[in-house]
Amino acid sequence: MVNQLLESIKSNIFACHALLSTYLLAMLQKTLFFFVLLGASFTARAQVDTVRASTLPGPQRAEKAYNSGLASFNAQSYPAALASFDQAIAAKPDFAAAYTNRAATRYELKEYAQALADYDQALKLEPGNYAGYFGRARAHEAQKELTEAENDYAEAVKAKPDYAPAWYNRGVLRFEKGDYQAARDDFDGAIKADPKMAYAYHDRASTQQKLGNYAAAAQDYTQALAVQPDLLSALLNRATAERRTGQLPQALKDYDAYLAKKTDNALAYNNRGSARFENKDYAGAIADFSQALQLDAKYAYAWNNRAAAQLKLEKFADAAADASAAIKLKPDYAEAYLNRGHAREMLRQADEACQDWRKAAELGIAVGNNYAAAAGCAGEAAE
Amino acid sequence: MSFPIRQLLLLLLASATLPVAAQSIAFTKDNFGDNKDGLREANRELKAGDEEYRADPPRYADALPHFLAAQEFNPNNAALNVKIGDCYLNSTSKTAALPFLQKAAKLDATADSRTHYLLARALHLSAKWREAIAEYQQATPVSSNTRNGETGTITPNDLQRRIQECRNGQQLVAHPTRVFIDNAGPELNSSASDYGPVVSADESTIVITSRREGSTGGKKDPTGNGYFEDIYQATWKGKTWSKATNLGAPVNTDDHNATVGLAPDGQRMLVYAGTNGGDLLETGLSGSTWDKPHRLNSRINTNSHETSASYSPDGRYLYFVSDREGGAGGSDIYKVDLEGKNTPVNLGSAINTAYGEEGAFMSPDGKTLYFSSEGHNSMGGYDIFKSVFENGKWSTPENLGWPINTPDDDVFFVASASGRHGYYSSDRPGGLGAKDIYRITFLGPEKQPLLSEEDQLLASRLAPVKQTVLAPAVAVATAQVTILKGTVTDDVTKQPVDAAIDLIDNTSGQTIATFRSNATSGRYLVSLPSGTNYGIVVRQEGYLFHSENFDLPAGAAFAEVVKDIPLKKLEVGTVIVLRNIFFDTGKATLRPESTAELERLQKLLTETPALKLEMAGHTDDVGEAAKNQDLSQRRAQAVVTYLTQHGVAAARLSAVGYGETKPEVPNTSKFNRQLNRRTEFKVTGK
Repeated sequence: MVNQLLESIKSNIFACHALLSTYLLAMLQKTLFFFVLLGASFTARAQVDTVRASTLPGPQRAEKAYNSGLASFNAQSYPAALASFDQAIAAKPDFAAAYTNRAATRYELKEYAQALADYDQALKLEPGNYAGYFGRARAHEAQKELTEAENDYAEAVKAKPDYAPAWYNRGVLRFEKGDYQAARDDFDGAIKADPKMAYAYHDRASTQQKLGNYAAAAQDYTQALAVQPDLLSALLNRATAERRTGQLPQALKDYDAYLAKKTDNALAYNNRGSARFENKDYAGAIADFSQALQLDAKYAYAWNNRAAAQLKLEKFADAAADASAAIKLKPDYAEAYLNRGHAREMLRQADEACQDWRKAAELGIAVGNNYAAAAGCAGEAAE
Repeated sequence: MSFPIRQLLLLLLASATLPVAAQSIAFTKDNFGDNKDGLREANRELKAGDEEYRADPPRYADALPHFLAAQEFNPNNAALNVKIGDCYLNSTSKTAALPFLQKAAKLDATADSRTHYLLARALHLSAKWREAIAEYQQATPVSSNTRNGETGTITPNDLQRRIQECRNGQQLVAHPTRVFIDNAGPELNSSASDYGPVVSADESTIVITSRREGSTGGKKDPTGNGYFEDIYQATWKGKTWSKATNLGAPVNTDDHNATVGLAPDGQRMLVYAGTNGGDLLETGLSGSTWDKPHRLNSRINTNSHETSASYSPDGRYLYFVSDREGGAGGSDIYKVDLEGKNTPVNLGSAINTAYGEEGAFMSPDGKTLYFSSEGHNSMGGYDIFKSVFENGKWSTPENLGWPINTPDDDVFFVASASGRHGYYSSDRPGGLGAKDIYRITFLGPEKQPLLSEEDQLLASRLAPVKQTVLAPAVAVATAQVTILKGTVTDDVTKQPVDAAIDLIDNTSGQTIATFRSNATSGRYLVSLPSGTNYGIVVRQEGYLFHSENFDLPAGAAFAEVVKDIPLKKLEVGTVIVLRNIFFDTGKATLRPESTAELERLQKLLTETPALKLEMAGHTDDVGEAAKNQDLSQRRAQAVVTYLTQHGVAAARLSAVGYGETKPEVPNTSKFNRQLNRRTEFKVTGK
């Protein structure tokens, strides 16, 4: 910018006052400052005016408003940013960047439809701009228009293949629609574009897990942790992968490491409890499920799982009570019905046990019918 | 039980000495003192007991009351304790033997092999496997009568087998069978022995054998096992059984009449009669009464002992138990067609062992045989097994396991068609007396509970990151530069002054550039790109320097500042503001950025030796006035201290703090307050 200014000064001053200009320029080029001696003569005074006229260009209202909008955006003052971008667009209706940024502002303000309109306009004015596609993809995503979002991410990837977030985001969408193979390819793309993108390793690990490649999953979670050691969910998920490959001790270690750093995650306690259950440490499992419930008393899974552990310890009344609590929170909770059925059988509440097993079957756990039949329950099997 | 006081005293005496030196106390006058009558009575009981005990075969039930009576006089006789234990072991209350045999072992440190064996049996029957094995291992084979004359042969094979049974028990108890075992209730059970349940396939009818009072003929068993057996029947009422009723004649007779088997449809029944060494009979239901039982044919009933039988589901075959010759040892299980002429077939070595088999029951599925055996992996006595006939052979019998089977005899088990229930008799604790009928509910393998878990598989869904891509800032030429312009004049004459203008980077203390104002007009213009704390010094010989400060952080937007600078001559009373002296907030510590200005001041004082200055500190009006006053004083002093430390005579300098009393401008804005926070000097001499 200063160079532009210098160029401009150079041309003007040379024209009028060669000697002075030479002195000035030598100094300016060296220090990037300029200091203008205003001569006594009228001519010299006029020169100064010329300098100012050319170096301090017009009002640039659109640009100023735009930059001000940008500053507001960065300060998270979105309404102010919106006003500024409005001004910029009013002053310069073909200002593509202003549309892009106003769209981003509207996205932040959760005005997704308007954001989409602005991105449309930005892309119309500046076709092929990855920022426009990427932003519009996010707006589509926010509007749950997932196909459109995926298409726009694809355009963004095409426009700027080294932009990792576009790959990553498309990978996430594909993961969520269960297309794990394609998702993995996208996370590959993200990692290629940015080998330091911990999230991409993490989520690629998750796709590997979904694809049943547990060893590869564990490896990618490890890589994610290497890049970003505080990405604790990688520990949690690695534990799952390890459990699937029969490495229960390692899994328990990962859970321990996670919970040493993050003690407010009921889900993590629930999962460690399940691992402890697998390890036949039922008392330890109950402690974990109880902790999960302390953190989140509405966590139906933890109630159900504690019921399971109580069953193992033959605390049948406690098991039935815990399973009931789970069912109260989640009335269609098949597993909890099944477990309560087991507890009630042992509590000699045969009819109630039958009802629970049948209900579990009705909710999708077919084995409930087998249990009911074997126990000589009256009535027909649930479909 | 009466218990004379003098006898009690003797007991207490004997007991008191027991822990010190456990010793068997003989039935002699030394130990009875004055109680000659007691000794006589005790010995009488002992003798009477021994007569029964040493009979061939021994009459344990008759011996026991005598021994117990003798025991009341002297509980610490080892031999008597052994005999009582032995009697109990041969009764229906086997586990009652244990305390007597343990006491006997304690009283007689040199207990013989038979005592060890009997104690082992009692421990075994109480499922104290490890201790039982230890006692069996101390017992040695005994081939004839012992020192006390008791009979009993212990073979090496017997010892070995018992030890193996204990080991089987250890294994089976470690993996108990999941069952409910419920007493069939007072409707079926009595205080006497009730056993031999047989049920129809649908469990609607049950027929049992009982030795309860009211037996047909009213005869009592000479072995002391209650009344002669009779058959009773009950029907299922939905939640309980109906009260069992005696079938009466012609099924029940004055002799023993016991159930053996019931056809799946409940219309035919097999019964046992004690005649002819034990034979099997069959009866049919006509309406609601049972016909007179008729003896089964001679292919089934022989001179040997035929005890139990079960119909095949189609009623054509019979599985029955007989100790006839040609078997594998003990009683064996045979299969025979009821109507044909074929010889019964031994079920073979998969089922029949060298030891006894008993209580055959063919399940209504026609292929699952439940039976009891003393062989296979029994944990002691008869255990109940099941074997399935598939592909032309019987599967390896499976022990129904603990707690259905116990170390004692577990026999006569029948199952419902569903396989969900079984019925048998047991003298387990908690019953109504002697053996009772129990219903077993098979729970099947442990039902596994289901757990639920969830994962947080997508990092960005868990912790979204800001991803907004913004178009970058556009170049606006006005940005990030401050234009400083104005005129330099003489403060008094107002004439333009040709002054030097130094731009100093306060952070480094370096002079970035030096410019001059126009000699004629005094005008100047300086462009200050943002990002530097600028000290600006305007100086000319004969004038005091003028100090300005522009701290322009990076990104400071465009500004144009007009600043006319009146240069002041060096006169007494002239006041100069030192804009480039900086202190730490709220302190009188000079910041490093002040160095350039301080050096300038020092230079001025050095070049003008007569010059005397008063340093003055000023604050804004924020905070307490007294504190501001103190702070300003200390700040002025800090400048003086700096100068004196750099060679300026202290006498030329003075320091004064004005606090907030002399603002340059009203303290109405942040900018103004900044102007008021200042350090000045006043010329006090030259």
